[in-house]
This record gives sequence, C-alpha cells and structure tokens, in this order.
Amino acid sequence: MTLPLRLFYLAILQVIITAFITYYLVTNEYRDLSQKNVDALGSFLITQKKQELENYTSIAFSSIEHIYHRFDAQEDVAKSAIAEVLNSMLYNGDDGYFFMYDDKGTNIVHPKEPDRVGKVWWDLEDNSGNKVIQELIKNAKNGGDFFRYNWRQPSKGVSEEKMSYAVYIDRWDWMMGTGVYLNEVNQQLSDIQSEIDRHIHNTKTIILVVALTSIFIIFISGIIVNLNHKKKAEEKISELGQRVIDVQEEENRHISRELHDGIIQILISIKYSIEATSLFLKKQQVEKPVPLTQAEENLGFAIQEVRRISHHMHPQILDELGLSSAIEALVNDFSKQTSINVAVNKPSLRKLLPDFINTTLYRVVQESLTNIRKHAKANNVCIDLSIESKWLTLIIKDDGIGFDIDTQINSTNGIGLRNLAERVEYHMGHFDISSSRKGTITTIKLPTASFVNHFNKSNLNSENNNEQSNG
Amino acid sequence: MNNQMDNNSTPKITVLLVDDHPMVQNGLKACLAYYDDIEIIDAINDGSEALKAAMELKPDVILMDVSMPNLNGIDATEILSEQLPNTKVLIFSMHDSPEFVSSAVQAGASGYVLKDTSSEEVYYAITAVAKGNTHFSGSIAKMLIENPIQPEKNKLTTREQVILSYIAQGFSSKEVAQKLSISFRTVEAHRRNIKSKLRLESFADLVRYAINHGLVEEA
Repeated sequence: MTLPLRLFYLAILQVIITAFITYYLVTNEYRDLSQKNVDALGSFLITQKKQELENYTSIAFSSIEHIYHRFDAQEDVAKSAIAEVLNSMLYNGDDGYFFMYDDKGTNIVHPKEPDRVGKVWWDLEDNSGNKVIQELIKNAKNGGDFFRYNWRQPSKGVSEEKMSYAVYIDRWDWMMGTGVYLNEVNQQLSDIQSEIDRHIHNTKTIILVVALTSIFIIFISGIIVNLNHKKKAEEKISELGQRVIDVQEEENRHISRELHDGIIQILISIKYSIEATSLFLKKQQVEKPVPLTQAEENLGFAIQEVRRISHHMHPQILDELGLSSAIEALVNDFSKQTSINVAVNKPSLRKLLPDFINTTLYRVVQESLTNIRKHAKANNVCIDLSIESKWLTLIIKDDGIGFDIDTQINSTNGIGLRNLAERVEYHMGHFDISSSRKGTITTIKLPTASFVNHFNKSNLNSENNNEQSNG
Repeated sequence: MNNQMDNNSTPKITVLLVDDHPMVQNGLKACLAYYDDIEIIDAINDGSEALKAAMELKPDVILMDVSMPNLNGIDATEILSEQLPNTKVLIFSMHDSPEFVSSAVQAGASGYVLKDTSSEEVYYAITAVAKGNTHFSGSIAKMLIENPIQPEKNKLTTREQVILSYIAQGFSSKEVAQKLSISFRTVEAHRRNIKSKLRLESFADLVRYAINHGLVEEA
C-alpha cells in the first residue's frame, strides 16, 4: 500500500471515529439535558396544577360559604343548595368539576356521574388498587392534600390519571374535592419529549451527512491526488526512460564513431605500414616473410570485425547520408536475408532531420522489419517516407498475417514498440499501429516544426566556410 | 593542363590526399612513394579545407575520404565536380554500402575504393581515374553489377538543396552565386534542375515546397 493511500484510509477512519464520538456525546448530553428539563417542566406543571386546584377549591369553598353559614340548622336544605352550586361550577370544559362525600363515603355531589349520588363508595378502588374515596377523605381530614389515582375522564369516557385536592368541611363531616386529569400534562411532556427526540434525530442526520460528505470529499480528493501523483510519476518515468535511451543512443553513436574513425583508421594505417614494408622488401629483392602475410590477413579480419561492431551500434550512414539512404541500406540487407520484397518511397530532399529524429525513425523501421521477419509471414513490405503540408509521415505496411499488438507492444525484445511509440510522442509526434489478418500498418507523424531549418543550420555553415575560403 | 608534356620525362599524376586521419595518410603515402608516376602534392584533413587546397593546387586526382568534419567527402565531391571539372575525385572510404557508392557517383566521383584494399589497387585506381576511366574496388564492383546504380531522378543533391534553401529565403540567383562563389549561370542551371526534379514551375512553388518540407522557416 502506498503512503498516500494509507493516509487516505487513515483520514476516512478518523472521520468515522469523530462522527461516532460526536454523535454519542451530542445525543447523550442532549438527552440528559432534555430529561432534566422535562422533569423540571413536569414538576413545574404539576405544581401549577396543584396551585390551580387549591385556587379552584378555595373559590368553590367561598361560593358555598354563605350557604354554610346561612342554613345553620337545616342540613338537608344546605346540602341541596351546596349541591346545586357545585354542580354548576364546571371548568376546563367537562373535565373540571367538584365532588363531595361525607365521612362514610356517601356521595353527596357528583356533577358528571349523578348516579353515584346518595350511594356509599367507601371501598371503591381504581384499577391500580387505590382505595380512592378513603384516601381522599383521609387527606381532607389531615387538612387538605393531593392524591393521584385513576378515574374516568368525562370528555373521553375512559379512565385516566387524575390528581385531586380534597378539603374537609368539619361542620358536616364532609369532604369536598376537585381534580385535574393529568393526561394533558403528560401529553405536553411527551410532546416535548418527541420534539427532543426529533432534534436528536436531526442532529444524528446532520452528523451522518457531514461525515458522509467528508468521507466523500476525502475519497474524491484522494482519488484526484492519487491520479495526479500516478500521472506525474508515470510522466517522470517515461521522460526518464526517454533520457536513458537518448544517452544510450548518444553513447552508441559515440563509441561507434570512435571505433570507425579511431580504431579502424589506426588499423588501416598499420595495414599500409605493413604494405610499405612489403614494398620495401620487394625493392630489396627479399622474399616477403610468411608472418607478415599472416599479420596482413589477420589485420583485415580485425578491421572487418570492428566495422561490424561499429555498424551494429550505430549506422554511420544515418549521419553521413541521412535517413532515406540509411533506410535503403537497412532494407537492402533485410531483403537479402529474408527474400521479402520491400519497396521504399522517399522524399526528394535529404538531411532535413536532426540526429534524434533520424535515430528514432531508423529504429522504428528496424524494429518493424524485425517484427515482420519474426511474425508477419509477409511477402511484401512498403515503407513510405514523405513530407507533405508540414507533416513528416513514415508508413510501414506489410501484407502478412498481422499480430496481437498488445503482446507485441509489451514485448521486451529489442527496443520495443512501446518505447518507440513513447519516443515518437516525446518528439511531439504521433505513433499509430494497427494490425489485422491482412497485415500491419505502422504510421508515424511528426510536425515539420520539430526539425524546421535543421538542414540550414548544419549545411549552410560549411558552405559559409567554403565561401570564406573561396573569397 | 597538368597532363601536358614537360621536358622529356613523363609528367607525374598529381594527387591530393583528403582524410581526417594523418596516420592513414602517412601509411598510404609510404606505400604510394614506391610508384614513380604519381606524386602526392598535399594531404588535407577536412572537407572544406580540401576545397580551398584543390582550388589552389588543381590536382589531377583527389583521394577523398567520406566521413570528415565540417564537410563530408561526398558533398565536397559535388562542389569540386562543379568547380573543377578536370580534377577527378576518387572516393577512399570504409563505407561499403551501395547508398554511399551511388551518392558518390551522383556527386561526380570517378571511382570508389575501400580503405581496406591494397595500396597497389589504390595506385591502379588513381592512374585509371586520371586517364578518365572509372574504378571501383572489387567488392564494390561486384555489388554494382548485382544492383546497378539507379540514378534517383527526383532526389536533390546537397548542393541543390543548399541553393533551394537560399532561394526560398528570398535570395536572388545573383546573390546565391556570390554567396557560393560560383557563376550566375551555374546557379541558374541548378535552379532549372531543382524545378525539373521537383516538378515545380514558379518561384512561389519553390518557396512553398521548401516551407512545407521544413527546409526553411515560414517568414
């Protein structure tokens, strides 16, 4: 795994961890905080309700107080008068009402359930097992207190949690109470709770979106960085490769020239010295010694051998006569060795190309001919070198059986087509190869801009020397 | 004029050696010294120097190497055959491929001997070309019989290409003649040859051709 890739995974991992921690902390904190708030609000609402109940009770008490005082002796009259008042004192729609029982649990007033009136409810239990009436009476006797239990809610017709406040009227041993149904409060609290849950959910979504976006961005930028990196690295490798080839070609040319213009010329001078010696001996009428003849012969072999090596490293003809002649020479040898017929078309001008282009195109022809000899089973090859409308075009066409370009391009034999293709592109040219069962066509195009004026640079100078010498 | 009779002795064939390797020149000189009818009048080491010396010495035969600094032997031969039609050029080279031979012949060389042939053969070649014959080394001759030189009718010589380049750069024939120190008529003759080789008619055609081929830059 490459370093950028490792960094990339690390970044994503970090985002995921951060998102998790943030999510955990935020939701937990939020939930804690909101739970406290809900609790506080709940107790506040209950307190408020209690206050309300006390207030209602005191209002009710004050509205029956005059009856309480007026009907001193007539308990029954007072009772019905009080019942009348309390029956009409409703609040909170149907749900707020007053009830009254005596100390034996006999109902005296119940506006919403009149059928209870006159009956004893001392042992009445709610669905949780609370002895409701007993508790209420006990609370009332103790000076008034709140009590929670379940009771049928008039507006809904079902049993709901209710909180009631009861006071005791000592004179008649009556308990008077009123209550609120807590489902309103509970509803309010659960509304808030669900609002909080919604917030937490929103937060969760936001964190998720942010995390995913971050991962996506990291991923995309990672890919871009990686691609860029890769592209740059590949460009560098390719450039380096081309430079290596440049150096190699230059080195080959140099050594080839050293061999041809140095060693061979020395060998030739030695050869002439031996010949001069022979001529001298002849003049002295001395027979030429056998070792001298042998030396002459061996020297000839040496010269041929060095020449062969020199030519193999770099064809001098390319430098002296230009690309067309070099291709012609190459093709002559090729035809002689393979008896494949090769036609060559060349431009009318010569020596237009600088060394590096010459060498590249020469190597392309060389490599193509090698491929044709090895794989194509061709009878005819046509090499077309032309310059038209500011483009130099080299086309090598054969009528063979074609080959798999991919395998061939990646072949490591010789210089390799891939290398040559890169090389052509390095010199601002286009390289194209197509192969079918009918043969292979390699096409190379180079803009004349890549060699314009080269001929003048290298030839008019020597003419100028000539001019000076003649002038 | 170098061949005219001089007193009662046979005039020697004057030879100019052109080779950038003094050792080869010395070796060859040592061998040719044994032949009485030739005289090596000078040894020069590069192409453009050779032109200067040839103009001055007007030798009968120039023994010309191909690979040389400044101006190669074949291009020098072309200029010499244009300027000194009486001087015969005998190419003396290590290069043995037909392209070199045909280029040399087209440039006006009278013969081609390889450097690894014997000095005796070099001597015979010198006397042959001095007489107006041609001479090719054995292996070259064999090659020429197998693949006779087909003159490339449409291919410009280096000299013609130089002139085309000057013309395309806007120089008149007179200016080109001055630049190359040749006669106006020679330039005009080259110009006609160029046009017929390239199958072009007008001056504008020449300029366009030179630009399209990257010979000169577009002005």
